Amino acid sequence: MKLLRIERRKYIFQLTTPEKRVLQAVLSRYSLLPRRSQPLSKSTPEKADQRLLEEALAARRRDNQKQLQGLLKSKRRVQKAKVGWRMKLSGTDIEWMLQVLNDVRLGSWAVLGSPDLNHHLVVDDSTGPHLWAMELSGYFQMRLLEALQQGRATPKPHKKRTRKGRSGK
Amino acid sequence: MAETVTPEAVPDIGQEEETRPRAELDPGYLVICWDDPVNLMDYVTHVFQVVFGWPRQKAEFHMLQVHEQGKSVLAREGMEKAEHYVHELQKYSLHATMERDA
Repeated sequence: MKLLRIERRKYIFQLTTPEKRVLQAVLSRYSLLPRRSQPLSKSTPEKADQRLLEEALAARRRDNQKQLQGLLKSKRRVQKAKVGWRMKLSGTDIEWMLQVLNDVRLGSWAVLGSPDLNHHLVVDDSTGPHLWAMELSGYFQMRLLEALQQGRATPKPHKKRTRKGRSGK
Repeated sequence: MAETVTPEAVPDIGQEEETRPRAELDPGYLVICWDDPVNLMDYVTHVFQVVFGWPRQKAEFHMLQVHEQGKSVLAREGMEKAEHYVHELQKYSLHATMERDA
């Protein structure tokens, strides 16, 4: 996945057909993180606040699911090009895609039993797909982060100077 | 004959007690981000930039603190704002909590 250009605040990526399929496969795993994995506080658990947090996160997951379905089906955002595919994302789209990919990354790690990744990990039929999802989520996250970074570094086009306060006659 | 004294009306020029929002009076919660072995360093930096509006350098400093020391105190706030930050960080699946400042 490669950033081609940034046009009117939209990030336009080029994907090969296998990349598009892999991205769809990774995204379709959302959501994987256990729902009760996030305490609000370690020291002072306040039940009402914890419930509110869980409700907010559940609502967020539902929104992400909807948006995800929209993206995967949208012909406006993902279009066939001469070479591969073009995917057009706004900055907001990238933010939620980062969240979705991170859920898949962390969720896959949790499914594997939260192993220490610096130690040898057996790759077999049961662990392979989760490791695959974890690493590929990371790959797509990095491409998106690089694009955002590039977007921040791109100088804004100069505006034409106008002479305010003059009659212009 | 005793002089008659005209009572003076003294203007009330004493300072009024300031009223400040509760959150400002009681900034008693630390927003902490904890280390985990999976979140990408660039991702964590990005999230700090988005949630707190920090420049990249400051966000990287806290990311490295999380990575090297196991945690970083990101903010000290009143309850509501601390909760807001924790919600935002958890939306990005970062391991963040709020702890009462001792």
